[in-house]
Amino acid sequence: MIQYWPLMLKAAGTTLWLSWLAMLLGAFGGTALALLRQIKFAPLRWAVIGYMEFFRSIPILIVLFFVFYGVPLLLEVDISPFVAATLALALHASATMSEVVAAGIASVGRGQWEAAAAAGFSWPQTMRHIIAPQALRVILPPSVGVFITTLKESSLASIIGYIELTRTGLLVRDATGGGFVPLLALGAVYFVINYAISQVGAALERRLHVGRRSDLVGAMA
Amino acid sequence: MGYSFTLRTIYPYFGDLWQSALNTLLLSLLAIVLSIALGALVALMRRSALRPVRVLGAAYVEVMRNTPLLVILYLVYFAAPEAGLRLSSFMAALVGLTLNSAGYMAEILRAGLIAVPPGQFEAAQSQGMSGAQVLRHVVFPQVFRTIYAPLGNQVIAVILASSLATAVALDEVASWMQTVGSSSFRFFETFVVAAVVYLVLCQSVNIARILIGRKLFPQGRRA
Repeated sequence: MIQYWPLMLKAAGTTLWLSWLAMLLGAFGGTALALLRQIKFAPLRWAVIGYMEFFRSIPILIVLFFVFYGVPLLLEVDISPFVAATLALALHASATMSEVVAAGIASVGRGQWEAAAAAGFSWPQTMRHIIAPQALRVILPPSVGVFITTLKESSLASIIGYIELTRTGLLVRDATGGGFVPLLALGAVYFVINYAISQVGAALERRLHVGRRSDLVGAMA
Repeated sequence: MGYSFTLRTIYPYFGDLWQSALNTLLLSLLAIVLSIALGALVALMRRSALRPVRVLGAAYVEVMRNTPLLVILYLVYFAAPEAGLRLSSFMAALVGLTLNSAGYMAEILRAGLIAVPPGQFEAAQSQGMSGAQVLRHVVFPQVFRTIYAPLGNQVIAVILASSLATAVALDEVASWMQTVGSSSFRFFETFVVAAVVYLVLCQSVNIARILIGRKLFPQGRRA
């Protein structure tokens, strides 16, 4: 078992890279969705809410199956397990992040918008200079929670054969003749990573004086 | 672009879908009930007067919230036979899902218990209420109100998470999508069907939660 530790740590790096990339895409997508929701045009708002509700009501696993097996049949393109996993995780994260970002924007009082308008700020200027800096305070701590969820969900990439941390743990188990010790080690690696990240999140909450990490819908993974 | 959407090819598999959907439903339902019970135990452990018991409860929550469900499922599935237990796929999935969900349930219930001010226990006792009466008439109504919304979220989370049981070889909706998709090459159609099943399940919970919430808490905070 000990000789496999370097392999496990390298795989942990792969898992972190996959989750980070998906989180980044999800954060951009979620922000775009939250901004679209601000536009006073009902069909657009319904579309965004529909998107959110859709991804909150279906398991990420079937999204992953669809992207990996379905999209290549549909569009006649090749999709690697890495690309499929990144896309599926990003889609899911974007739905959650749009809610986090929307809550952040809503946390800034109306008066700020009015004051900015009175001072002659345009909508993009108000967003950029007045709203965003204040909203970010509310957005950051729950984002850490979304990242942890994404990191845990990235374990599903092992099901479509992508060799990340979980798949590596299962391979090590096979190589060492079965048993559950490699799986305990696998769980321990995940725990250490996620616990460390959650402590960063808790420190952020204290620094920014905002409420506790709240687990959002579908946070269990 | 030669792809045309047709449900005709996968029509023969709809009989299996019924069985798979029942497995998803039964697994989720049992996991929710059992994890509320286990979660309540952990939440009470975290309020214990004994420090080791409190630490154990807190550690349980942290471990479950920071470890992927998939890893826990594999652990249960592969470790149980070594302990001399022969678990079926369904049982392994149920144990894994319950253990994991209990970590979240414990936090939800703990938040509910915190919402009852300590003075109320004393006030109720001074009125001559027994321990059970205090729980029934004073604590429960307030706890229930606090946990109502997050409990609904967790019910949905468990239904979605039950899809991972496919990894321990249980025939449920996600595995139906994969097996039927790979034998018919109709992954788009099987995805749509599976998505509809989950959407119906989760949105039923969601809508029921809102409607029951309006009945239970007519004024004030909406769930």
